[in-house]
Amino acid sequence: MYQSLMDLWYGFGIALQPSNFMWSVFGVLIGNLIGVLPGMGALTTISMLLPLTYVIAPVPAILMLAGIFYGSQYGGAIGAILLNLPSHPPHAVTCLDGYPMTKAGRGGAALGITMMASFFAASVGIIVMIFLSPLLVEIAFKFGPTEICSIMLLGLLAGATMSRGSPLKGVAMTVFGLLCGVVGTDVISGTTRYTFDLPELADGVELGALCMGLFGIADFLVSVNRTTVKPSDAKVSMKDMRPTRAEMKQAFWPMVRGTMVGTLFGAMPGTGPTITTFIAYALERKIAKDPSRFGKGAIEGVAAPEASAHSKTQVDFIPTLSLGIPGDAVMALILGALIIKGIQPGPQLITEHPDIFWGLVASFWIGNVLLVIMNVPMIGVWVRMLQVPYKFLYPAALFFICIGVYSTKNSLFDVGEVAVFGVLGAIFLSLDFPVSPIVLGFVLGPMLEENFRRAMLLSRGDLLVFLQRPISAWFIGACTLLILAQVWAYARKVRIAPPLQGAAELVSE
Amino acid sequence: MSRFKALSKDHMGSALLIALGIGVLGLGVTYHIGNLNRMGAGFIPVVLGALLILVGLAIGLTAAPAGRETPSSGHGHGAAATGPEWRGWLCILGGVVSFVVLGQFGGLVPATFASVFISAMGDRQSTVKAAALLATIIDVFGVIIFHYGLSLQLPLFHWGW
Repeated sequence: MYQSLMDLWYGFGIALQPSNFMWSVFGVLIGNLIGVLPGMGALTTISMLLPLTYVIAPVPAILMLAGIFYGSQYGGAIGAILLNLPSHPPHAVTCLDGYPMTKAGRGGAALGITMMASFFAASVGIIVMIFLSPLLVEIAFKFGPTEICSIMLLGLLAGATMSRGSPLKGVAMTVFGLLCGVVGTDVISGTTRYTFDLPELADGVELGALCMGLFGIADFLVSVNRTTVKPSDAKVSMKDMRPTRAEMKQAFWPMVRGTMVGTLFGAMPGTGPTITTFIAYALERKIAKDPSRFGKGAIEGVAAPEASAHSKTQVDFIPTLSLGIPGDAVMALILGALIIKGIQPGPQLITEHPDIFWGLVASFWIGNVLLVIMNVPMIGVWVRMLQVPYKFLYPAALFFICIGVYSTKNSLFDVGEVAVFGVLGAIFLSLDFPVSPIVLGFVLGPMLEENFRRAMLLSRGDLLVFLQRPISAWFIGACTLLILAQVWAYARKVRIAPPLQGAAELVSE
Repeated sequence: MSRFKALSKDHMGSALLIALGIGVLGLGVTYHIGNLNRMGAGFIPVVLGALLILVGLAIGLTAAPAGRETPSSGHGHGAAATGPEWRGWLCILGGVVSFVVLGQFGGLVPATFASVFISAMGDRQSTVKAAALLATIIDVFGVIIFHYGLSLQLPLFHWGW
């Protein structure tokens, strides 16, 4: 406990170093700015700025990426509440009650509550992260290749099945992502696989190109001429952002409950923030005295999901950094950036790179304070930015994507990869396949293969080793449960007409 | 996609996955496979290819028949499908391709202009004038930020190879 506080103090020292602090502020600002723009989520923002991290030192790079992440998450809430436009999937739930509040003239209050809930939840998430991480590290040191393999399997499976509608499609996309990770030179034998004799593919598919294709270009392809951004006449000034006392009182417990849901789910690898917000919302509706108010502008329906998303985001860094298992696609991207910088996530990260871990923790707090300070006076600017028409937005974003990918390795071939993944992503999206599991599979794929082959070498090809080692057996057991639960849910869906249809559709991506 | 009315999205997805899986499997067996004890480079790809085929089959078998499928839930992705957007697709992909081609043969300035201009024309509401203006503005900003600010390794103008 005492040690953790000392480490945190050290972390503040790192995060407040001028160069680190500057990048953190930059990340939060840019994240918030781009997050507000319609159609630009955290994923697009991070993948667009990913190349920038290659030229700066590891610590500021990760601080910047984290800043972009929660900055854009916050920015996305503004679009969701004021325009009914969720640019980041978790905000789909926020729209349900946030937009009716805007129509009722209480949009400012909804934003104010969102801000409070986010800050509160993030703070709780950070505290959990501080005290839970050392414990997790102790367990994690007992991990060998076998255990790493089975927990990755659990993470992939959870990421695939718990994200969007059809779990089978999620699994299919995860496998596709794993395959994308296979492309390139095999690290053990040196054989080049699936490169089609292109020398540029020998190093594998470029992470930035994959993400920008799947989340940038594919999204443009699907939404061009189909999204009409309705002009918002919402005028929000600083004064409007202060919720009334009654609203505060109403929102307080939902905020606490949402935070708890988020924290609980954050520790589980593979569960994305979307499912978390959905559960938080469902919980509020379930325990409300008058559930019919939900969907018509109930402030609880804004506070709880937003709180859960933010605590989930913070806690999510624990499995990502200490086990190397990202919770969702955004975390997978951050993980990928770390690996590119030569930092292997895992139990040794906290002891070997305390500057990264504790600096990151401290920067979360600084960043969240910055968000609050920045958003109150800038709300007018954000509202105006929401009006930028899509027809100007996507060509500009397309240029940034091209030049961003090019700058990574000065390779025009990689820009071509973007186009290929853009087409693939658009096809998958139009067939209702989720694309985020691809990133999860792509980042984890090479690690999974390496550890699996090592585990098999150690056990002389005996697959039973996964059940014989106790920690691994637990994870495999959890995987089995997850699959059984899906089969059971499917069987039940077939038997009775699905009453949950509307609810299930909320969980998009 | 009126031609495929008889097939639901799930059936098409399933067919796509199976085709992909067969391709992966076909290439995978040309690498050294080995056994569980001593795995070769081809082992994991073959397993993944087989998995893709299996998942594809499962999706095909459990798919709802055409016409009765659940409506798509793409919130942020403009759910109302009104047939493929050929103009949008052509222009957006053309924008990316023109960046690659002109980046190789023309330099940063023409590549930027072309990619923004061509992709902007994909929107039905945009006019040549507005798209050209947007492309010029972004070109100027792009050159300032990336060429002078971040000293990107791509010449401003560069004819031929």
